[in-house]
Amino acid sequence: MNKILLWFLFTLLFNIITINAQEKYTLSGTISEEKSNETLIGVNILFPEIQSGTTTNEYGFYSITLPEGTYKTIVSYLGYTTITETIVLSENITKNYALSDATENLDAVIITENIEKLDIQTPQMSVNKLTSTTIKQIPVVLGEADIIKAITLLPGVTTAGEGASGFNVRGGAADQNLILLDEAIIYNSSHLFGFFSVFNPDAIKDLKLYKGGIPARYGGRVASVLDIYQKEGNSKAFKVNGGVGLVSSRLLLEGPLKKDKGSFLLGGRSSYAHLFLPLFDNDNIAYFYDLNTKLSYKVNDRNNIYLSGYFGRDVFRIDDTFENVYGNAVLNFRWNHLFSDKLFSNLSLIYSDYYYDLKLNFVEFDWVSGIQNFNLKYDFKHYLNDKFKLQYGLNSIYYQFNPGDIKPTVESSGINPFKLTDKYAFENAIYVDAEHKISQKLNVSYGLRLSTFHRLGQDELNVYENDQAVVFNEDFKIYEKARPIGTETFKRSDVIAKFANLEPRASVAYQLNETSSVKTSYNRMSQYLHLLSNTNSPTPLDVWTPSGKYVKPQLLDQFAIGYFKNLKNNYYSIEIESFYKTVKNRIDYIDGADLIANNAIEQVILNGKSRAYGAELLFRKNEGRFQGWFAYTISKAEQLTAGRTPQELGINNGNWYRTPFDKTHDISLTCSYDLTNKWKFNANFLYQTGQPATFPNGQYEFNGVIIPSYSNRNADRLPSYNRLDFSATYTPKPTKTKGWQSYWVFGLYNAYNRRNAASISFGQNNVTGANEATRLSIFGIVPSVSYNFKL
Amino acid sequence: MLSLIFTSCEDVIQVDLETAEPRLVIDAALNWVQGTDGSSQFIKLSLSAPFFDSEIPPASGASVVVTDAFNNTFNFIEDANTGIYRNNVFTPILNRDYNLTIIYDNETYIATERLMPVVPIEFVEQINDGGFSGEEIEIKAYYTDPKDIENYYLFEFINTSHSIQSLEVYDDEFTDGNQIFAFYSDEELETGNELIIRGLGISERFYEFMNILLQQTDDNSGDPFETQPAAVRGNCINITNPDNYPFGYFRASEVSSFTYIVE
Repeated sequence: MNKILLWFLFTLLFNIITINAQEKYTLSGTISEEKSNETLIGVNILFPEIQSGTTTNEYGFYSITLPEGTYKTIVSYLGYTTITETIVLSENITKNYALSDATENLDAVIITENIEKLDIQTPQMSVNKLTSTTIKQIPVVLGEADIIKAITLLPGVTTAGEGASGFNVRGGAADQNLILLDEAIIYNSSHLFGFFSVFNPDAIKDLKLYKGGIPARYGGRVASVLDIYQKEGNSKAFKVNGGVGLVSSRLLLEGPLKKDKGSFLLGGRSSYAHLFLPLFDNDNIAYFYDLNTKLSYKVNDRNNIYLSGYFGRDVFRIDDTFENVYGNAVLNFRWNHLFSDKLFSNLSLIYSDYYYDLKLNFVEFDWVSGIQNFNLKYDFKHYLNDKFKLQYGLNSIYYQFNPGDIKPTVESSGINPFKLTDKYAFENAIYVDAEHKISQKLNVSYGLRLSTFHRLGQDELNVYENDQAVVFNEDFKIYEKARPIGTETFKRSDVIAKFANLEPRASVAYQLNETSSVKTSYNRMSQYLHLLSNTNSPTPLDVWTPSGKYVKPQLLDQFAIGYFKNLKNNYYSIEIESFYKTVKNRIDYIDGADLIANNAIEQVILNGKSRAYGAELLFRKNEGRFQGWFAYTISKAEQLTAGRTPQELGINNGNWYRTPFDKTHDISLTCSYDLTNKWKFNANFLYQTGQPATFPNGQYEFNGVIIPSYSNRNADRLPSYNRLDFSATYTPKPTKTKGWQSYWVFGLYNAYNRRNAASISFGQNNVTGANEATRLSIFGIVPSVSYNFKL
Repeated sequence: MLSLIFTSCEDVIQVDLETAEPRLVIDAALNWVQGTDGSSQFIKLSLSAPFFDSEIPPASGASVVVTDAFNNTFNFIEDANTGIYRNNVFTPILNRDYNLTIIYDNETYIATERLMPVVPIEFVEQINDGGFSGEEIEIKAYYTDPKDIENYYLFEFINTSHSIQSLEVYDDEFTDGNQIFAFYSDEELETGNELIIRGLGISERFYEFMNILLQQTDDNSGDPFETQPAAVRGNCINITNPDNYPFGYFRASEVSSFTYIVE
């Protein structure tokens, strides 16, 4: 470890020295969309004569330092008109560009796709980028454009199934994804138990999914980073955007607060009530809504401020007996400041909150839980020269966990009010990340993140004999809860447990020729929060718990290697990657563990590990009327919870078992075809190996009940999942660019009406009493239509 | 239009399953119903079977003995090859530990359990617009939990008119010392049905055991809240061949019984 650090510091120093040796000037500025002033992320600024270039960051800012000279400069971004000009660099220059939408300047509909062009030079690998335009074109169930559903079409990404929350990346669990919305952490990404995601596609500008080679500026989760940026809002003109669909309607307003200086964005989306009415023959209400707001203000050329907020809730009520409300709330203040034309900074102050309420009136029980955190992030992007860029910064998060507050719903209730002990923690990190162009062919990035986690004092922490909260009963061969031998109460400023981890990250790209390269990466990451979930897929009932005396942080090591090639002048691209990763301290649960309102969660947790490996192929056609991608993933994801002593059985007799998201084969085909400028067609096809499941291998009778008996965990599988969807987008007046503009999206989900099994359950027939296997499938063929407009 | 949207459905399908070697199933419950002398007891032994079989084979020819620490020995004698072993001279004593010894197929199985007391069911309340759908008949059987001690309960709701049985287990973590109810609701419940409600005192270990069993036999299994199923081990040990562990449990309970006619 020390060697890596030394080498790292040495190269850093070397580069800083070399930049001072020559006469160099800096070209910097912001690149935005011409009509709205919306900043653009990932725009290429290229200097072809010296084969150099840079891209805009998440805030549209770019900076490059070059030797004095005259350069041909190309500013290009897919879907926008390219700007070519000559720049005389004899002093530091600030230059802002405004790009115009290519579709509006061309008569024929060509090359407007927003799939990111494959960059074979950058060392960053295992990353996929989607824009909201692409997401909106992908056919989805019920016609609701959906970010999470769109990313599951990418290689290495799966979901646990229809109606399952979250997504799984490279064999990782859903709680191992870091989901950032304008830099704020989102704890639950799903509406309505996973049918929809919480992100309003109208308010989204851009997203990136990092599956591997994750840069040091990200941390806190071990499987992936989904980095989502919302639009700033149009600072030139007032615009309205909206849609009416079968499930929800949405409206987005944006406009200038002060022309070219400040803008606002206000987006709302709400589903209609009674969504699940036909499922049960009773009075029920199920709906969700979310609000996205953002204020942006350009104070001067060096300072921008942003205030953004997100508020979403799900409400699910059956009669008066059951009521469930949950959702995220985020408030976020950010300040972009340019210390110099080479040093960009962003300070974020974020408050975020996840709220969960379950009311069961028939048992007179009301349970409220949640997690609140205050997050400070200070990130610097230091564009030292055209060969060397540094990113460094710090991050502090203070957490307060409320695992549950239980109240009786009526005065005469037999439920005693009960407060589960609040938990507190403080997570800190500092990082530095270098992007280093060593030669024309060799690009590397390397970084280091130091993360620490302090579990702070709380009331009544249980104390156990030998610190063992779970005991193994050797007679019966079962795990049982240990009895606490006492409790300890701490001051809030005390530290109950602390952890520190050094997380090295490195990626190397070697360009083989003009069109192809090989890349390899390694990253170590740590995760201090755990989502307590022993169901097959996460549910909104699940509660997050911090690492501490009895629960250790998860530690990941991932290696990836890949081959990247552009074909036929970038018309096609191929990406092949292989990965191997291991996670230490992945928690598992003793049989029958009750995780809801459990004040001594340590008594049901066992410590295991997981591993995943596989290969991914992504073939894309990036341009032309017919575009799309084909993705194939072959992988394996397993978990092991061995006994702590040779006498203990562990989980599944101490053998490796498949995780619920182990899908051997995962194939997806997504394509679009522009027939005319009025009609555009999309189709996607999905095939996945069936989800692992545990089927009975026998039955017996006990206490008058027939009991299925089970053996090895996840040894069986559901039938394979496959589905074909179509959508057609109809734009009645495609040439209209002012006033009321509209388009229709017609969809057909699961076109051949396959009954994909969401689960198979084993029980008795109500009439005959004979045992039977029952398949539950969620969606058959589903037609949909939505109307979308802007003005 | 909305019925078009959610087309979720359930259907019965054919699944090929592995079959494990049969194991002995010990369904041993010493139940002492309040107001009786508790002298008639039986223990049921059977074997596990392939999942789709319609018959559960009895385990015949076993020797079944219950003893206590006061040199009392109760032999249980089989009813002609039924797997049901009876003793009619049992003398139950609350909070006493009982030992079960079974010799079956040359292997010896043992278990120990305490006879757990229970409070009486005080009264039953009926609501006609209850349950999850708001249209079901809902039954609440009230009892008062003894304060400051941990109590665990098994409730059996037996609808004799339809010969269906429903089981629930409860602890008193959030209800300690209060008057509280066991809850039952079923679509099949009709006016005039006879309902036998039995509250049984159980040990913490049996509570955990039964809780897992009931999760795995949940009628609504397959929902997203379903936990990972696994082999469930009880408190009976095969001392001859520990790997050939039995299914089931040896439990001893005081029982409060309440017969209710649905109004």
